[in-house]
Amino acid sequence: MELYEAMIIISPELEKDDHQEVLDGLSSAITKNNGSVSTILDWRKRRLAYEIDKFLEGHYYLVYFSAEGTVIPEVEHYFRVTDEIIRFMVVRTDEQEFEAAAKKAASEAEAAKKAAAEEITAAAEAGEAEVKESADTETPEPVQDSQEKTAEAEVESSGTEDEEDKPAGE
Amino acid sequence: MRRDRGRKPKKKICSFCVEKIDSVDYKQYEKLKRFVTERGKVLPRRISGNCAKHQRQLTRAIKKSRIMALLPFSME
Ligand SMILES: [Zn+2]
Repeated sequence: MELYEAMIIISPELEKDDHQEVLDGLSSAITKNNGSVSTILDWRKRRLAYEIDKFLEGHYYLVYFSAEGTVIPEVEHYFRVTDEIIRFMVVRTDEQEFEAAAKKAASEAEAAKKAAAEEITAAAEAGEAEVKESADTETPEPVQDSQEKTAEAEVESSGTEDEEDKPAGE
Repeated sequence: MRRDRGRKPKKKICSFCVEKIDSVDYKQYEKLKRFVTERGKVLPRRISGNCAKHQRQLTRAIKKSRIMALLPFSME
């Protein structure tokens, strides 16, 4: 058995009350195949960095479960046939990372509560920050000598050594 | 091997090593943002100061983060 982390994004069109049904479906896809769900973390609604299915935001969940690798295709199948899930990813994880994620989610939820109270101020600040950012130049600091090419090559080649990065269970 | 030419010498150190990070987490996209340019490209190691190991992990984390729309794909 391995510990897995599934991150899913639920469509913003689905009412919060109906999220549980989607999550239950995922849980049963896991348990039906002799896996077990250990925790589901509500990662809250977030703005998407780019449009997915015409949506600009989505509700994130992190689902931690242990299962044999053979369960992964079943789980991925559930994701694919569930229209309310607009994006998903399954990665292998371990206890340590799981603990860290749980801790962070808890403190973020706390912070979100506070932030909701100061929402108006925060929104104004975010708008300001965006303007400032786009005014910045692309190069973060002066470049010494002419090693630009080398650096560029480094970035490119680092993209190829990626075998273990595939979704788990292949 | 110093070639700071009057500039304030600035030693490049891997911030992930400093923070004793075992593996770079794709979920911490706020942190990953510091290592991409405005156009969304990964900052080269020479500029970020990351060690090779963490730069590799970082590149992977950024890719995952992009897939989950936590970070934008790079704009060419
Ligand atoms: Zn390092």
